[in-house]
Amino acid sequence: MLNALIISNNIVGLTDYYVSNDLVTYTIAHVSGHFNPDLTPYDVLVVPNGSDHIAMLRIKDKVRAFLDEGKAVICSDGWFTSWVPGNQWVMDNTKRTMDTRYFLKTDAYKLLADVDIDELIYSHGMTGWWACGYIDAAPGADVVVEDTWQRPIVVLDEVSTAGILFLTASGPLADVTHAGEKEVALVKLYRNFMRMLVSRNELISR
Amino acid sequence: MQTIGLIFNGVWSHYAMATAPKYRAIYKLIYIYDLDVAAIEGLEALVIPFQSNQAELVARKSVIYNFLSQGKKVFVEGDSTADWLDAQWEDRPVNNYWWVDNPDNPPVSETNYDHPVYRGLTPRQACWHTHGVYTRIPDYADIVQSTPEGEVISWETNRYGGTLFATTLDPIVEHGVQQISHLDHYVDRLTEWLSGIKPAPGKMTIEKDLYGEGALV
Repeated sequence: MLNALIISNNIVGLTDYYVSNDLVTYTIAHVSGHFNPDLTPYDVLVVPNGSDHIAMLRIKDKVRAFLDEGKAVICSDGWFTSWVPGNQWVMDNTKRTMDTRYFLKTDAYKLLADVDIDELIYSHGMTGWWACGYIDAAPGADVVVEDTWQRPIVVLDEVSTAGILFLTASGPLADVTHAGEKEVALVKLYRNFMRMLVSRNELISR
Repeated sequence: MQTIGLIFNGVWSHYAMATAPKYRAIYKLIYIYDLDVAAIEGLEALVIPFQSNQAELVARKSVIYNFLSQGKKVFVEGDSTADWLDAQWEDRPVNNYWWVDNPDNPPVSETNYDHPVYRGLTPRQACWHTHGVYTRIPDYADIVQSTPEGEVISWETNRYGGTLFATTLDPIVEHGVQQISHLDHYVDRLTEWLSGIKPAPGKMTIEKDLYGEGALV
């Protein structure tokens, strides 16, 4: 069982997508003008689509300390500020979405097990719906998924800190099936990472 | 000169649009927690985008209506709450693919193309998708866009001194996301209506240096 803290920007519908279950217990941290959450009780920090990256920049040092305790951060959003250690998301619109495809590159933990990557590529036959821009990944981090132009789209980073970063180039991830939604690729990818964290934490505690 | 205040809550799509070279000289990013009378002094218009922090807008309601009372413009997109807007927004499923699956049945069936924002736009440029509807709007407000079922998508009123325009379209967010290729048309018309300044023609571009350490925050 993991304890996850979700950073909420108080935008419509967000908390409906994260319902506590037998794998994860969720706590919500609502951003405010003096945002300074206590991260210590948690195993993983979840920064979902639509997050406040000004607020995250202001707690950058706290996030770094959290990671250096061996804990995990998921960011499935476009972090335009520099709060994520070692990695930077960059918006880009120079490539045509109709040419966008994704390819599995390095997946040591089988995060894409049972994930149909075509679901991330196509929606109603249209491509380029899932991620935006790309990640300038830390040297040595695993690029799990790259796009048509070999740009990192999903990154797993165990080298920039003592913890683990799981990052998408603003490709949404969620735990929506417990809210009654279908278990689509972005749910499976998210849950595979959470299961990997559980296994990792069990190994550490032995 | 920056004459439009874009109220944002750290969301990347707001940032991407407002810092694009095409719009950067016109839009001033105002972090929601910094929104006060001084922050918007001298501006001609405010934009309150989809994915805003509604609770924080409620806390700053008087700042917004004081601005409107000076004869200025406020543009609200996406969702809202009746705690700060005299209207009732309701969620509805978003249909991103009507133009693929059912192109003869767009989410908006009626548009007032005489409105300055919509003048010269094609139906596809005037509606890509909607985020909910308004089931109640202020008395004497004008309906600008509605659905085939008669639900309100866009409306406008002058009852607060200036012009308040609300829509469940999301041009600012989607233009920042850049997955819909024709939004320069709508956003440029909107920008000119709000500010009197016509953005440079052509497609919006992005500057990589403004991401990361060089972010304009």
